Amino acid sequence: MFFQEMSEQLLAPRYLGWLWDGFIVTIMISFLTILFSTIFGFLLAILSQSQYRVIRILIRCYNGIFRYSPLLPQLFFWYFGIGNILPLEFKLWLFDEPAIDLGYLRITMPSFEFIMGLTGLTFYSTAFIAEEFRAGMQGVKQGQLSAAFALGLSHWQSFRFIILPQAWQISFPALVGQYMNIIKNSSLTMAIGVLELSYVSQQIETETLKTFQDYAYTTMIYIMAIIMVGTFGNFYHQRLLEKGKR
Amino acid sequence: MDLSSFSDGFIVIKNNLAYFVWGNYPEGSIGGIILTLILSLSAIIIASVFGVIAGIGLTILIGWQHKLLVLILSFLRAIPILMLIFWTFFLLPMIFNVDVPAIATVILALALIGSAYIAYAVYAGMITVSVEQWQAAYSLGLNRQQVIRYIILPQAIRMMMPSFVNQWVSLIKDSSLAYIVSVAEFTFLATKVNNRSMVYPTEIFLFVIVVYFIICYALNLLVSCLTKRKKPLMFN
Repeated sequence: MFFQEMSEQLLAPRYLGWLWDGFIVTIMISFLTILFSTIFGFLLAILSQSQYRVIRILIRCYNGIFRYSPLLPQLFFWYFGIGNILPLEFKLWLFDEPAIDLGYLRITMPSFEFIMGLTGLTFYSTAFIAEEFRAGMQGVKQGQLSAAFALGLSHWQSFRFIILPQAWQISFPALVGQYMNIIKNSSLTMAIGVLELSYVSQQIETETLKTFQDYAYTTMIYIMAIIMVGTFGNFYHQRLLEKGKR
Repeated sequence: MDLSSFSDGFIVIKNNLAYFVWGNYPEGSIGGIILTLILSLSAIIIASVFGVIAGIGLTILIGWQHKLLVLILSFLRAIPILMLIFWTFFLLPMIFNVDVPAIATVILALALIGSAYIAYAVYAGMITVSVEQWQAAYSLGLNRQQVIRYIILPQAIRMMMPSFVNQWVSLIKDSSLAYIVSVAEFTFLATKVNNRSMVYPTEIFLFVIVVYFIICYALNLLVSCLTKRKKPLMFN
């Protein structure tokens, strides 16, 4: 009797399946954002050391605009604003859900919402990661560069083998924080209709009205994801430090 | 998309400018940029007060109380703000058994998240103030409350000012999330104008982004000017 009452209070299994699907989308969009924004952020940080003043100023403008304005209007800008400019053929092509054949692997193109959400998140996070990495490069002692030059390394070599590895080690904890932020920020893409965890959670709430259970599950899933990233980050940072000591 | 249609978009913005700034104010309730400012300012004030208190708590509490505080703060830092807004939106009316306006739930959610981050900044500042400062203050005969109030906290806050400003800017940015619970702040009104015309989304949201940028950047400049002027006082 008691168990029956209990199970009536809990969410039906099929809703758990929905949450799982939402979680997968959250993980996908966060992972891709982390990947792209790390690459672009590093490029921007390296470019911000350029000897040309124009490039430095452009990068500072980029970082300023994207860091001092909220993500939500930025997502609207990409989804409505850029979506409006894009040619209709492209949107129709995407609407058909084309698939790319790679032998046995078939990759279906994600939805238009997903692509725009990913673009918005990437542009936003790139600015933050570039700034963290730039701070990391400034944390590398000036003597290191002079020593590298004295050893006869070229400008590029001293950057590649001396400065970048140390900057990566210094900025890594801050980067892990940014990666956590990306997972949390991915929840905003629900506003443009990406079917990720928060969106699914709202859907379940309107359908079952079991608000408390639904939010509890969703919150737990987010916390789990954040803890996972944090643990992995700590583990990897320890290894980085040990490698640095040798 | 040619240049003339671009300028048409700015005419739409110009025609709706009053609506963007204060919503339907004289006839209806206040909204727009003014509401965004009210929202974020209240969140900033509450978050700073809570944050300083929690930061002091992190420094002086020991045992299970310290663990509990750390647990609460970690929880607040681990969940998306959106989820916290959903929680407060759903729980507050249940707890107080009255209709809580949506804007209050958003302010509370923002303030909680902000205070969790500010608490750690205060804590970091307080433990960086050197041990000698504590010892010197104690040897002057001050008690612990006085030491923290007059010696440690002012130094910690001045040291952590850049980190506070970052948090305040984040709170202004995050106030746009009130859109989710249909509070008539700036972003919400922008989407409304966009839904009405549907022709110039690029210009409208570009305008929104620029306005937020100006607000956040102005706050940043203001604080750095104020703290710079105070600096000579500290060193003479």
